[in-house]
Amino acid sequence: MSEKTINKKKENTFIRIILKLVGNEKWQHITIPILLILLSFIAASIIILILGKNPLMAIYNLFQGAGIFPKPSYAAHKSMLTDFLSLLNYMTPMIFASLAVAIALKGGLFNIGVSGQMLLAGFIATITIGYSNLNWGLAKPLVLIVGMVAGGILGGLIGFLKYKFNINEVVSSIMFNYIVEYVLSFFIHSYYIDPVSRQSRYISDASRLTLVNVELFGLKMDISIGFIIAIILAVVLKRFFDKSRVGFEIKAVGANPKGAKYAGINVGKTIILTMTLSGVFAGLAGVTYYLGYFASIQPKTLASVGFDGVAVALLGNTNPYGIIASSFLISIIDRGSNYMNSMAGVRKEIASVITGMILLFSACNAYIQHKIRMKKDKLEHVAGKEHEE
Amino acid sequence: MYEYIVEMRNITKRFPGIVANDNITIQIKKGEIYAILGENGAGKSTLMSILFGMYEPDEGEIWIRGEKVKILSPNHAAKLNIGMVHQHFKLVSNYTVTENIILGVEPIKKLFGIIPYVDIKGANEKVAELSKKYGLKVDPTQKIEDMDVSLQQRVEILKMLYREAEILIFDEPTALLTPQETDYLLKIIEELRNGGKTIILISHKLEEIKRVADRCAILRKGKLIDVLDVKTASTKTMANLMVGREVSLEIEKKPAKFGDVVLEVENLSVRNQDNVEVVKNVSFKIHSGEIFAIAGVAGNGQVELADAIAGLTEISNGTIKLNGEDISHYTVRERTIKGISYIPEDRQTYGLILDFTLAENLALKDYYKEPFCQKGKLNKDVINEYGRKLIEKYDIRSSLGVNTKVRQMSGGNQQKAIVAREIELDSPLMIFVQPTRGLDVGAIENIQKMIVEERDKGKAILLVSLELDEIMNIADTIAIIYNGEILKVAPKEELTVEEVGEYMMGVTA
Amino acid sequence: MLDTIIIDGLSFALPLFIMAIGGIYCERSGITNLAIEGLQGFGAFFGALWIVIISSFFNIPINKLFYLALLLSMVGGMLFSIIHALLCIKFKANQVISGVVINILSTALTTFLTTQINSLVFGELSDKFQIGTSVRFSVPLLSEIPVLGAIFKNLYPFEIVIIVIAIIAAYVLNKTRFGLRLRACGDNPHSVDAAGVDVYKVQFKAVLVSGALSGLGGISFAYSISTNFSPAIYMGYGYLAIAALIFGNWNILPTFGACLLFGFARSGGYALAQILKMPSTFSDLIMILPYVVTLLLLIFFSKTNRAPRALGEIYDKGKR
Repeated sequence: MSEKTINKKKENTFIRIILKLVGNEKWQHITIPILLILLSFIAASIIILILGKNPLMAIYNLFQGAGIFPKPSYAAHKSMLTDFLSLLNYMTPMIFASLAVAIALKGGLFNIGVSGQMLLAGFIATITIGYSNLNWGLAKPLVLIVGMVAGGILGGLIGFLKYKFNINEVVSSIMFNYIVEYVLSFFIHSYYIDPVSRQSRYISDASRLTLVNVELFGLKMDISIGFIIAIILAVVLKRFFDKSRVGFEIKAVGANPKGAKYAGINVGKTIILTMTLSGVFAGLAGVTYYLGYFASIQPKTLASVGFDGVAVALLGNTNPYGIIASSFLISIIDRGSNYMNSMAGVRKEIASVITGMILLFSACNAYIQHKIRMKKDKLEHVAGKEHEE
Repeated sequence: MYEYIVEMRNITKRFPGIVANDNITIQIKKGEIYAILGENGAGKSTLMSILFGMYEPDEGEIWIRGEKVKILSPNHAAKLNIGMVHQHFKLVSNYTVTENIILGVEPIKKLFGIIPYVDIKGANEKVAELSKKYGLKVDPTQKIEDMDVSLQQRVEILKMLYREAEILIFDEPTALLTPQETDYLLKIIEELRNGGKTIILISHKLEEIKRVADRCAILRKGKLIDVLDVKTASTKTMANLMVGREVSLEIEKKPAKFGDVVLEVENLSVRNQDNVEVVKNVSFKIHSGEIFAIAGVAGNGQVELADAIAGLTEISNGTIKLNGEDISHYTVRERTIKGISYIPEDRQTYGLILDFTLAENLALKDYYKEPFCQKGKLNKDVINEYGRKLIEKYDIRSSLGVNTKVRQMSGGNQQKAIVAREIELDSPLMIFVQPTRGLDVGAIENIQKMIVEERDKGKAILLVSLELDEIMNIADTIAIIYNGEILKVAPKEELTVEEVGEYMMGVTA
Repeated sequence: MLDTIIIDGLSFALPLFIMAIGGIYCERSGITNLAIEGLQGFGAFFGALWIVIISSFFNIPINKLFYLALLLSMVGGMLFSIIHALLCIKFKANQVISGVVINILSTALTTFLTTQINSLVFGELSDKFQIGTSVRFSVPLLSEIPVLGAIFKNLYPFEIVIIVIAIIAAYVLNKTRFGLRLRACGDNPHSVDAAGVDVYKVQFKAVLVSGALSGLGGISFAYSISTNFSPAIYMGYGYLAIAALIFGNWNILPTFGACLLFGFARSGGYALAQILKMPSTFSDLIMILPYVVTLLLLIFFSKTNRAPRALGEIYDKGKR
């Protein structure tokens, strides 16, 4: 065999191995994201190396900070378990935010306004329930309901503007993000400000969705009620899109609005419904963030969770189970970055860079699938020819 | 001196899953009109796209004027003086005639000697000259979107002539023309040949090939079957070679037996997005057991009319009555329930949801009803079972059966799926828009037979078609639409092809 | 008072305008561009970064590096836009997703790099690059004219640069060969391909142009609004530029009108707050004016807009 053929054979075997790993189309929705995550971590490691730090150590620190691996020592009443529960606490708003983005995506819409919807929901729940004297039996459920309604209304409004006036929902939701941010900042500064913390006044413990500093087994832990609700709703959402008639119609409009109209589906109503549902989940993200993970609102900031949710939704391929897994990963990156900063000296902002890169690679998902299919076809063709020779 | 001006030797071209051209060799003499005949999907367009530089062959050689060449791009083809008029015009709609013609070969002038700009004025003059020389009348400053199809085609031809093409390829040029416009075009083709050009004519229309071509290559399923001398070959021979078996070019039809009025349209007007009236004050009736065909050149409002009856667009004036009930403002779903089936022109955009499975698409108009849906939940088993039933009954081919993503299916099978679904609705009114476009002769035969069967069952059929042959073949009543108005309604027997052609061009006298 | 409204309105409208022109180039070639926000941020970052470094290492007062900052911002925006170009053209990604990805990535990357470089190179704990104040000048004679003279008063140099570049950009788009081919790509890329022109190359250049112009807009905002580069550069003005070009129906002159509207709405709002002597918390409410105006404009003009016919289409040579 000539040298050219030998090299070709080596290249083919390498490609064949990769294809074996990601070629199976049934598993692609898991294998490709894993591949993308690996790529992102490799890219991040290169950056860490350039900065003169040990990437393996840094990534290990990352997982320690998140409560996945044990730290060498813990503060009083803290352990890996408490770290892990804090991780779940952090993860809860992210799951809701990502589900919100995923719902919109399934309907062919891009809800980039989750942060604004979160803020509105959190604010209204705060001033109505958070500052009230209701006991936890009433307060907690009401917080959820108020959050859902507030988020749903803003989401529905964006959907209405799209349907009635053909306004691009990305532009309108960003506009609302800023409008909500400034208007609420005004109200907080005028009426609800805590002069010491420069944030809104703390809400009552009874209305908070995370049970803070619960003493159990000699440890002080934060238990997020929202987390359980998030998991349950994710499962419900999966069934909704797989089996229900409304879910079918949302997917139809997302896949082909003209075909959906032809099928008799009311496209306008479906768009508004999709954005409202998305807003409802954004509202839940808001209340679990501002009345759960936090107990107050910092004016003039938009939660980055709203944007990370886009990354998680894309990485999880808009599948609720994939979203839970991806939220888990991205939360680890976000939470662990503080510890990684203090231990390995790598700036915590690198967490958002890693997330950004995961997002970047996720956007190429369709292309990667296409390329894999083409390579498979080619190899089969070549294999067939070799067989003939 | 070379014997053949164009030689394509042993050309093979593969696409994923299909061999479009399989070892084809053709030889074309200078100054002849050489036809390439074949059904849809036979490989004619691919072969000529290779000649025009849009694809490269996987195997084989191309010889132009006795020299071996590799044609890597349309630019390269243009340098070899090869030009192509495509089936789907490649024109920029909001540009003028001149801007379209000079695209890619723009004449540049320099302001103050240094700042370059496109010399539109000079180009306008050159285009006017060219238009006069070849008898292709156009206004260089008119915008494409304001021109009708036959005028647009002249722009495509002028594009070739502007680049000094000597070898002119025409891909299905008469697909969108009236009989009169077809006459005009064929005359132009003959004159171009008489002026020394070599013409390659891709067509599936035997009559036209018989009229102007010297020789004809017949392709079937990617292979070259034979090259015939057109003067001596009969259309029957050519048709049989094209399809590979005996074809009957006519559909047998029992005489019409009309029943009650099913659809009544009165003073119907429709406005488009720009608020221009595209359907003007249209009135007609369709009876059960009647095939009512609307003939017309593309873009005269026939599709908008069909869409309006089906409920996809709002009407601005008039009434639509189905079996006596006024459905003018009913939703799409309400109309489907009341009894309208609709097979749309654009099957991939309107008729199907490509990313859904075959089963989901077959149930697209039923999914919300019992037993497909119970209390808001879809019953997958019922949907799949229904899908399997239709696949068998209508012979719909797909790789994974009911679970195939429709996007992966062939155009012909996609159309079969749509027709299957709509016929199963058993609606009293069935609307077919361009039902046989892009299909091979066998599939065309099948669908035309199905339409006649449904008519015999007593359905009222509204057929919108751009193929005059099809209309003359199966219609009972013919209406001609021009500029949004119905110019004439008459039983088929009372109209000749020439008369219909004249109405299609707006001649009312 | 009227003077201030005109001066501040113009200095806001012009950077917005140049970003919108970039968006027009990109979208009229057929590629949806929602990435202007991220591109302007990265461009500003790139420009600010290099002049801060050069100023510190070569001991040049940072004020003198103004024009260099403008130039480098355009380079930075162009470099970052390569990502959008690759994603949309080579990897055939959904163009809306690509735009949003660019925005998120830009925010993350610039914040990270700014803090990192500040600490590594300057030993400072800061997420800002101080770029110094810009000079402002008035055109003699013309600025004396009552009322309209305000147009020529207290101008930032970048306003002149923007006007010159805008005129060149309009000429190129409408009169040259490149512009003819670019606009054709946004209507029917198949016709451009059949004419023998490489559609992908044209679209790539269009995206790069939008990157460069967005970067210029970004650094102009940095100079006029904050005198530094910081995460506050992401104020959503990139989205205002998009709204402006939609309102302008993808044509340069009407888009200019929309940008002026945004600019005067903003400066007018501030002036109003001053006249009515509102307390400072009300400044938050004033800030929402540009965004509300955007929504209103979109409500009234989105329905009748005529986007380029092939906008957002993923051009595939193989399909016919």
